[in-house]
Amino acid sequence: MGCREIREIISAYVDGEARPEEARLVEEHLGGCPQCRQAEKRMRDLGMAVARTERAPPPDFREKLFARMEKEDLLPKRRSIFAYSVRWAVVPLAAAAVIAFFVLSSREIPRDHPSTAMRPPTATVIGGELSPEDREIVASLDVLEDPDLFDETEIEELEFFAPPPRQRG
Amino acid sequence: MKTDAELMALYRRGSRDAFEELFARHHRRVIHFCYRMTGDQSRAEEAAQEVFLRIARAAPTYQPMARFTTWVYTIARRTTLNFLRDEKEHGEKVSIDPTGEGRDAADGIALPDSREWGPEQSAWGAQLQERFLEALQKLPEVNRAAFVLNRGEGLSYEEVATVLGVTVQAVKSRIFRAREALLAELSGLLE
Repeated sequence: MGCREIREIISAYVDGEARPEEARLVEEHLGGCPQCRQAEKRMRDLGMAVARTERAPPPDFREKLFARMEKEDLLPKRRSIFAYSVRWAVVPLAAAAVIAFFVLSSREIPRDHPSTAMRPPTATVIGGELSPEDREIVASLDVLEDPDLFDETEIEELEFFAPPPRQRG
Repeated sequence: MKTDAELMALYRRGSRDAFEELFARHHRRVIHFCYRMTGDQSRAEEAAQEVFLRIARAAPTYQPMARFTTWVYTIARRTTLNFLRDEKEHGEKVSIDPTGEGRDAADGIALPDSREWGPEQSAWGAQLQERFLEALQKLPEVNRAAFVLNRGEGLSYEEVATVLGVTVQAVKSRIFRAREALLAELSGLLE
């Protein structure tokens, strides 16, 4: 095979596209042909010039393209931050509404099953001990339970002993 | 990481993020290809925009039969070809050498390794780049596309054949002819 005929195979060989038998043929030829060896080198060097023709994308390329696509209805529009805020605010608001509903509706439970919240406040002994005034009232309780044991003047005295409303804490 | 085909399927179902990911993956190669095929920055940008618009319009009927990249280059090649034809019809384009083949120009040219370039050689490199782009534009479109897809974009001969719709043997011949013509054009700069 002459140089002219084998150059096309050398071109494929440079690109790594020669078949194994073609590659063997090229290598044999290059071993004995300085002109084709030089041609092979220059073919490889040409690739360097191709690599230098790359261009950076224009800075506004993306914005221009996406604007055109949105205009043609080819690209879903990005939702605004406000739209996202409203959408995500719905979840906690809905949860709060559900909790509030259950809390409020629990106050209307039938009286047959009074909740702890519905019970009247019970008397508690603050500090664990009765004051002297409390002791005097407690001592008079048996009198209150049996009205026949006292007269009207005693009742007035008992009213005097009634302790003022106690403040907790 | 999702494949290009999966992203196309998501985009078809209305995902903007999927298209943005596809764009991020492929826009550089599309711009480079269009620049090499048209030889002009503004024309390349216009053509590249059109390529992505066509990809978006074709999404509803896209079938992942071949590599997504091959499909993108097929669209890009058709788009640039239309641009060049339109320009030729309107007389805006420098005439393209209809033959551009048959010259044996591999002799007499030696390109130094760019890694060893100094300031003078860098300036020379810029001139070479300009001349190279001009030389590319003088090639017949079929040879230019084959050469650019293989040497510029890194597609195999088989992938180039798929993009151009020709046989692998035809690709081999076209790339060889492109190479010879380019070396002939650039010899004046180097000798």
